Amino acid sequence: MPSMTEKKETSIPSSSSSKGQSPLILSFKIVFSKLVYIMFAALTAVAFSIISSIFDQLLFFYPIIIFYLPDDAVLGFILANVIAILLGIVVSMNIYVLRHSKIKIWSTSLLSGSSLSVLSSICVSCSSLGFFLASTLGIVGVNIERFKKEISEHVYVLAINKSLKNGIKSGVEGTPTFFLNGVRYEDSWELETLFETIRSAIKKENKN
Amino acid sequence: MVSLLLFVYAMYISSHYIDTHGQKSNEQNKTLPLHDLIKNGSPFLGNVSAPITIIDFSDFQCYLCNRFVKNAEPLINQTYIQTGKVALVFGHLPNRGLDSMDAALAAQCTNDQGKFWQFHNLLYSNQKPIDSGWVSIENLKNFASQISGLDIKQFNTCFDNEKYKSFVQKDIDLALSFGFRETPSFIVENSNGSNPEMLSGALPFESFKAVIDKKISAG
Repeated sequence: MPSMTEKKETSIPSSSSSKGQSPLILSFKIVFSKLVYIMFAALTAVAFSIISSIFDQLLFFYPIIIFYLPDDAVLGFILANVIAILLGIVVSMNIYVLRHSKIKIWSTSLLSGSSLSVLSSICVSCSSLGFFLASTLGIVGVNIERFKKEISEHVYVLAINKSLKNGIKSGVEGTPTFFLNGVRYEDSWELETLFETIRSAIKKENKN
Repeated sequence: MVSLLLFVYAMYISSHYIDTHGQKSNEQNKTLPLHDLIKNGSPFLGNVSAPITIIDFSDFQCYLCNRFVKNAEPLINQTYIQTGKVALVFGHLPNRGLDSMDAALAAQCTNDQGKFWQFHNLLYSNQKPIDSGWVSIENLKNFASQISGLDIKQFNTCFDNEKYKSFVQKDIDLALSFGFRETPSFIVENSNGSNPEMLSGALPFESFKAVIDKKISAG
C-alpha cells in the first residue's frame, strides 16, 4: 500500500482564491496585505487631509489652533477627504510598484513612468482646490488603470512566487511533486502505484 | 531646473522682503484710530466709544469674506458689538475680480445714506461666482433699489460719477501697506490705534474672541 503522509497535510497554494477576481482587487489585496503600506496610505491620507484643510481655511494655527467646518465648506471637506484617502491608496500602490518593479525609473529619467505619477499625486495637492479636485480625480483614474495594467503581469509573477514559497514550506523538493486531496504523494512515480493510490483515495472519498 | 529653482527662490525672497518692509514702515508711521476712520467716511458698526476696533478688509465677490459674514461676524456682533466693546470698520480691498471695484463703489455710495450694512448683507446673501455678472453695474443698481428708504436717484448720481473711486483706492493702498493681499484680512486694535494685530483669512469666532479678550483684559 502506498504510504500517505497524513501529518503533513498542507493544502496546495491555491490560485482558486485569485481566480475570478479582477487585477485591481487582487493588486489591492497584495499591496495592502502588508501593514507598512496600510500605515503609509493612512499617513498620506491624514497629511493631505490636513494640508487641504489649511488651504480651505478650515484649520488655523494663529491666533489659536482651531478647526471649524462652516456650512459652505462641508461638501468640499468631504470631497477633499475622499481624495486624500484615494491619494493615500494610489501613492502607496505606486511606491509598491516602484519598489517591486525591475525597471530602474530613477536612473533613466526623473520624469517618467510611475515616479511621475507619484510626484504628480503629491504635487497636485499644492495647488488651488479646483485644480486639486479635477486633476487628482483624473490622476487617480489614470493610476488605477495603469496599475491594473502593470500589476496584471506582475501579479502572476507574485502568485508564482507565493506558490513556490508554499511549495517549499510543504516539503516540495523536486518536480513533479503530486498532491492528492491536499496530501503530498510520496510514493513511487510508477504508473501502477500512482493508480493504486488514486483508487484508494476515491474509495475513501466514497465512504465519506 | 536649477535656474528655475533659483528664480523661484529669488521671487520668494523679494516678496518676503517687500512684505516685511511694508509692514515695518507702516508700524513706524501709521496708526488707524477709530475716530479718524469714521471721520474719513469708512462704514462702521457699533459704538463710537468702543475700546476695541476691528478693521475688516473685504471684497464683495470673495467667498471667504462671505463665510466670515455668515459665521464669525454675527457672533462678534452679538457678543462684542451690541455690548459696546467692539466697533467693526469696513475696509475695501476689491481685488478678487474685475467687477469687485464697482461693487465697492456702489456700497460706499449707500454709506452716504446710512444704508451700507443693509447693502453689504444684501450683496453677500446674493453672492454668485466671481465676475459672473451678478455685480454688473445694472445689477448693483437693482440691489440698491431693493433697499427700503434709499434714495435711488442720489445713489445713481454717486455711483455713475464714481464719487468714491479715490476713497476706495486709499483703502486698497492702506491694506497693501499692511501686506494684505488676501481677503478677508483684519486688523484688531485698540480704538486709539495702538497695539494693532493682523489676522488673515475667514477665521472662526473663537479666533477673534481670543484676540479681543486678550486686548480687553490688557485694558
